[in-house]
Amino acid sequence: MRRALWLALVGALAATVAASSHASPALVAWLAASTAFAFAVAAGLEARRLKAPGDLREPRQTSQATAPAELPSDVTRRTVFGRLWMFALGAVAVLGIVPVVALGRRGGRRGPIWNAGLRLVTADGVPLRPTDLSVGAIETVFPQGRVGAPEAATLLLRLEDDVVRAAPERADWTPHGNVAYSKICTHAGCPVAIYRHQDYQLYCPCHQSVFDVLDAARPISGPATRALPQLALDVDGEGYLIARSDFDAPVGPDEWRRTV
Amino acid sequence: MMSRRGARFFDERFGSNAAVRFVMTKVFPDHWSFYLGEFALYAFLLLVATGIWLTFVYVATPAGAYASVASLSRADPVGYLMRQVHHWSAVTFVAAILLHMARIFFTAAYRAPRELNWIVGLTMLVVASLTGFTGYSLPDDALAGTGLRITDAVLRSIPFIGGWAADVLNGGGYPGPDLLPHLYTFHVYFLPVTIAVLLTLHLGMVVLQKHTQFVDDPEHVVGRRFWPDYALRTVAALAFSVGVLIALAGTVEINPIERFGPYHDWTVPNPATPDWYAAFLDGALRLGPTWHITVAGHPIPAVFWPGIVMPTVVLAVLYCWPFIDAWLTRDHRLHDVLVPATHAPWRVGVGTAFIAAGFFLTLAASDDQQAVALHVSVAGLVTFYRIAVPVGSVLIGFVAAQIARELRLRRERHGIEAERVVQLRRTAEGGYREEAVTPS
Repeated sequence: MRRALWLALVGALAATVAASSHASPALVAWLAASTAFAFAVAAGLEARRLKAPGDLREPRQTSQATAPAELPSDVTRRTVFGRLWMFALGAVAVLGIVPVVALGRRGGRRGPIWNAGLRLVTADGVPLRPTDLSVGAIETVFPQGRVGAPEAATLLLRLEDDVVRAAPERADWTPHGNVAYSKICTHAGCPVAIYRHQDYQLYCPCHQSVFDVLDAARPISGPATRALPQLALDVDGEGYLIARSDFDAPVGPDEWRRTV
Repeated sequence: MMSRRGARFFDERFGSNAAVRFVMTKVFPDHWSFYLGEFALYAFLLLVATGIWLTFVYVATPAGAYASVASLSRADPVGYLMRQVHHWSAVTFVAAILLHMARIFFTAAYRAPRELNWIVGLTMLVVASLTGFTGYSLPDDALAGTGLRITDAVLRSIPFIGGWAADVLNGGGYPGPDLLPHLYTFHVYFLPVTIAVLLTLHLGMVVLQKHTQFVDDPEHVVGRRFWPDYALRTVAALAFSVGVLIALAGTVEINPIERFGPYHDWTVPNPATPDWYAAFLDGALRLGPTWHITVAGHPIPAVFWPGIVMPTVVLAVLYCWPFIDAWLTRDHRLHDVLVPATHAPWRVGVGTAFIAAGFFLTLAASDDQQAVALHVSVAGLVTFYRIAVPVGSVLIGFVAAQIARELRLRRERHGIEAERVVQLRRTAEGGYREEAVTPS
């Protein structure tokens, strides 16, 4: 026991020295931990040395009923807090909801993410031409001037010219095989960060939703129930990729308040 | 001398000697499994100590949060260890609470008159998890921000009030400017103070109702005196817990935010999984139904079912469990003596099935990593877990109940049960008194 306490004493001093001389965290931790273990051993040995009995008996009173509390006999009214008291207190509780409701600041509808004619730029703000990405490449892009804005992250992919199975009204949304979808997953809002060009599938690393790039980013596996919103693309007079309008559907996860 | 004089000082003013004598001579039943709750308590103490230190470093603003936590790098051993011990203590705190709860469950310690303490303890588990999650979110690293993004989506899926609550929390849409300050207030103030209050209630009830025990003597608490016998043992448990947590913190790095980088809503580390106690919810989100339901024009998003309904139902069952148990067993009597787990195989079955379901949901949270390691498809694993959670866990529970029954039968066959050891004690009046002694 004395030996363990000496060890604790030395360990604590050594840990102090190690920590103040910027030793590695592992060394400091193990010196401090050894101190604690030495104390544990010392306490354990001391407890054993006591040879205290382990079967002492102390009476329980769990099941003994006691007399119910009653109004003192010099109080004449029988009911003190009547029903009206409860109704009045209930009304106060209703009043209590007011400050809670007052906390609500409506998020304010975010304006459109894209506007017609806005250029697609990289995270570094560089605008892109339809041929800047090689076929099979993917890039995270933003509306020019809004790099990093909430929910603005957009995936730009370059596919082979004729592989997209687009509905007729989307036929001209993909100049030179460039196709763009929102990067915000429609399931729980994670970035849909992984793309496999072999099977043209986008994966969300959070909950493993899979979207088909060739078919309007419809969910084909995992928990997502809605396609990633698509961005209709065009090329401006100077040859840079631009948006034709905003996304074709609301960005991000559905919520109760967002009526359909 | 000093302590005697101090005792007199307080006794003259508060009559404290009686209380001190009450505590010192109080008898505690002794069993290794009764220390599980103490480990939780000691993890909490370490959390408070390291947490107070961390408040002097942390900057609760979207601009400063990540850098302030990242500054606690290996170059600064004290700061690094404070953060590592804090995080390790947090995950251990929840684990110790769950183990303690499992002990309470399998020995039926929650039965009357201790139903309310089960409810208080369960509430502490919920608050501890929330404290853990808010703390996990504060560094504003890529993993933390992604977790918050998912939580925001789940919160907004709640009909009527979800969007309002999420706006209040964020100070607008996600990620709002007020989100980190609000989480910080919850993490360092509301939630830990709630734990402290519940802890006081929890231990106060144990003192009032006295501890349960395995020794079959309903009239007495059988065990060791608090001072100095039990006190030394619990000091050993405290020192041991602190030692293990510091050693872990210095050896195994947890939540290396420098590797995840700061959060942006367009980047995410892969693989992405939360701290272990939240993983069952993440797994549920991966397995959840892909229902597309609309009520009067309002969508009920798919995340609502696994993210809100599932945990609510689970918690409701757990909160009611002592009363469900009393109703199932038609036993409303008061109990102070514990049931050895093998004596109630049905309870072993229910508890094990419950744990197995949680285990499968937790495993489902890393289905992508398992798919890579096992060379199977994620979709195949999702199907597997969708079946395993309801069917597999029931099967496992059934097997566990059979094993418990078998163990009990074996013990009875060996006659240990039949053999009652009795100790005779001579009373002051000169007579003899029989006392039951448990076979060790």
